[in-house]
Amino acid sequence: MRRHPLATVGLVLVTALVFVLLYGPIFIPIVTSFFNVKYGTVNWDQPSLDAYQKLTQNDSIFEAVENTFIVGLSAVALSLILGTIIALHCNSGKSRSRALLQFVVFLPFLMPPMITGLSLLIFFREVDIPRSMLTIIIGHTVFVLALVYRTILVRLQGIGPSMVEASYDLGANAPQTFLYVLLPNLKSALIGAGVLAFALSFDETMITILVTGTQNTLPIRLWGMMRLGFTPDINALVAIILALTTGLVLVAARTLIPKEFAGSEG
Amino acid sequence: MSSDRILLELKGVSKSFGATRVLEQIDLAVEDGEFITILGPSGSGKTTILRMIGGFTQPDQGEILLDGRDIAKEPINRRPFNTVFQDYALFPHMTVAGNVGYGLKVRGVTRGTVEKRVAETLDLVQLGAFKDRYPQQLSGGQRQRVALARAIICEPRLILLDEPLAALDVELRKQMQDFLKVIHREIKTTFLFVTHDQEEAIAMADRICVMNYGKILQLGSPTDVYYKPRSEFVARFFGDNNLIEGTLGAGSSERRVVETPIGPLPCIADAVDGAAGSRAFAVIRPEAIRVDVGSGWAQGTMDQVVSGQVTHVGFGGSTTVAVVEAVGQGGAVPLRVKLPSRVEGLPIRPGDRVRLGWRAGDCRLVVG
Amino acid sequence: MAASGHRISGDTFWRGLAIALAYGLPIFFILLPLAAFLVYSLFWVQGTDMHYDLTLVNYIRFFKEDIYIPVLRQTIVLCLEVAALGVLFGYPVAYFLSSLRGRKKYTLLMLLLVPLLMSYIIKMYAIRSILGGNGFLNKALIALHIIDQPLTFFVFNLNAVLLTLTVLLLPFAILPIFLSLERIPKNLLEASADLGAANWQSFFRVILPLSVPGVVSAATFVFILAIGDFLTPQMVGGQNGFTFGRIIYSQFGFAYNWPFGAALSVILTALVTLAIAVGFRFGGRRGGAL
Repeated sequence: MRRHPLATVGLVLVTALVFVLLYGPIFIPIVTSFFNVKYGTVNWDQPSLDAYQKLTQNDSIFEAVENTFIVGLSAVALSLILGTIIALHCNSGKSRSRALLQFVVFLPFLMPPMITGLSLLIFFREVDIPRSMLTIIIGHTVFVLALVYRTILVRLQGIGPSMVEASYDLGANAPQTFLYVLLPNLKSALIGAGVLAFALSFDETMITILVTGTQNTLPIRLWGMMRLGFTPDINALVAIILALTTGLVLVAARTLIPKEFAGSEG
Repeated sequence: MSSDRILLELKGVSKSFGATRVLEQIDLAVEDGEFITILGPSGSGKTTILRMIGGFTQPDQGEILLDGRDIAKEPINRRPFNTVFQDYALFPHMTVAGNVGYGLKVRGVTRGTVEKRVAETLDLVQLGAFKDRYPQQLSGGQRQRVALARAIICEPRLILLDEPLAALDVELRKQMQDFLKVIHREIKTTFLFVTHDQEEAIAMADRICVMNYGKILQLGSPTDVYYKPRSEFVARFFGDNNLIEGTLGAGSSERRVVETPIGPLPCIADAVDGAAGSRAFAVIRPEAIRVDVGSGWAQGTMDQVVSGQVTHVGFGGSTTVAVVEAVGQGGAVPLRVKLPSRVEGLPIRPGDRVRLGWRAGDCRLVVG
Repeated sequence: MAASGHRISGDTFWRGLAIALAYGLPIFFILLPLAAFLVYSLFWVQGTDMHYDLTLVNYIRFFKEDIYIPVLRQTIVLCLEVAALGVLFGYPVAYFLSSLRGRKKYTLLMLLLVPLLMSYIIKMYAIRSILGGNGFLNKALIALHIIDQPLTFFVFNLNAVLLTLTVLLLPFAILPIFLSLERIPKNLLEASADLGAANWQSFFRVILPLSVPGVVSAATFVFILAIGDFLTPQMVGGQNGFTFGRIIYSQFGFAYNWPFGAALSVILTALVTLAIAVGFRFGGRRGGAL
């Protein structure tokens, strides 16, 4: 069944338009990063790496990036551990409390981040936890937990009960079973989930704005700079971030997509 | 074979899953060193018994006695039993050697000893060359043997096998059946084998425990359950069988008559009892029935003879099955007769009038 | 680790600890804050003093004062428009994508998702500058002699918010539609053709109806993301582009009335829950979560 050529043209046009809309806002900063910018205007005839050089001197950006990494890695570590524990528990049976727990875990992901951020803000104030890196980390962990949990749970379900039963049958206790049998088979899910969680945390703005004290993560810093307009080195930063996150997601995709023999124990 | 010493005993074991009663007051004694098969259709509770012994589930009532001690509540990893799972449950991230050595490793056995024992056990199952392969690289039969090796190496007191041959094709299955028997003789460990395949059970077991609907119907040697069924279900379960329905008549504890449409048939009662007039069956194995096409009985005189007409003859390879409609006062009863096939064909055709006969000892009583 | 029926020796400690963490942390950091949030909406503020007794004053204020409901309505309409635009542009792309084969399909899909990895703030800023008076769009239109003066149609008002949100959320519209199109068994189309239908008939009678759950999912998803976004309107909306989210945000900033902000957020959450319910009911199996 051949599609009518006119229809194909129409579809391709719309798709092309959408691509322009999606990539336009991205390309402009990136392309601009490779040219000389003076007083807000781009000199298209002067390619240069000035922007990148200026970037290395921008301390506030570096600090913000450093904070972003600290928050991201912490949130990933916390959510991986907690997510694994919750997934193991919810996978081990069916009960009302398990269903409720799963629901609670999903909440911050389903609801607008603003709500999550505000509820944490109020909570921190009432419980007297000062807004700081810690509160940002908590906010991010709570946000990515749902994704991490679900990824691990799905993998656990794929593994099935047989291997765990076999391990016990052969005399192992629970920690040994987790270490020798479950963890090796969860590795790919943990890496994939961790990478995705990091990518989410890296760009998380709405919750962070609400629960941060004086610390800046990169999105917060950029948000602050938005009023004054961006300096040229931001373009360089944008290019680097894009390269970084694209690379991360490629890693995630490769580890999460199941190989031929995944899951079954043979 | 078995030493008649009881290794493990289930007493009054019952289990329900939700509203379904899966096991009903099970009493079972497993003898040390024997190869016992639990046989039954799906849902009969046979797998539940195995999982209960292994510790994967607990009985609602009853005891599981090992050396006289109730182990029903003991955790899985403390029980001196090992399981060969239906889907093998091999660890995909470990080599064959890693899989087989796992049970020793978690017990803290030193590396050197583990390697030695693994090599020995792999040789026993003839997989020595595969020790560095991964399960994904092995065939079904090889994986099976790895699962077996993994269970053997820990020298358990009982090896539980959960329908381990179900996934193999017919030819391989027969080979593995022989192989398992050989291993059983070699390591002299008690084997408890669960299956739904009655041919498999007969081929392998020292004793067969026939189950249905959560109850044990009969426990005995393969010849016992085959030739001396004590219930309708067991009589029908093994191979082709003739159950001629009728009512229980007079007789003694050794011989009773069953009133059937083709006349009163004397049966060996063998302590099977029932009220006169109750539903009963005369059970005769198809291979025990002789056919007279007019030239008399080649095997000597028959104790019981009926006449009938051949309705169907079916070639089945080594045996040919004929269905003969035996006629009597009360009606007609189809009887299956099994005869060794002949290249030139058997001298019976559909429509032939023949006489069927059998010896007294081949007709047994079963009450409905 | 241990399935519920399995008894493992020596594991009671681990199990206890694991269960304590599994329930404790989510309760403490998710449920409790939400509960506090709810309770806060019932407190009230006078001047700079917070009063910790319960009252419905905030909710009454929402209904009585003239600004809030109109702004909420306006915001809902705006987000519905974003969702509609998202679906309008997203459907053809999803359809085109699902009609491709092999590597082309997945490469294109990846390419469509890459923009999601870009910094949200940067994208927003870039779109604003493109639409602005000195921006790319105006420069291009002037250069093509379509207009003489720069357009302020998209500058610092709700239209800007509309466009920006649409561009930002397009990938989220494309994905659910694509997934539901992929789920349609190919043999249905073969059957349709076999029975004599032309391509466009197959599309309208078979593909479109079967992709409706995906469309509803996409619309719901975009709607929820849009209505919860208070940063985009803040940056792009200027004085004329006020959304409900901005009002809430200001309660925690300039206006400094946390309980009132909490109350408005509760109303917003109710709205979002309603949207999720609708999406679940009419949408695909995937409800709200990706």
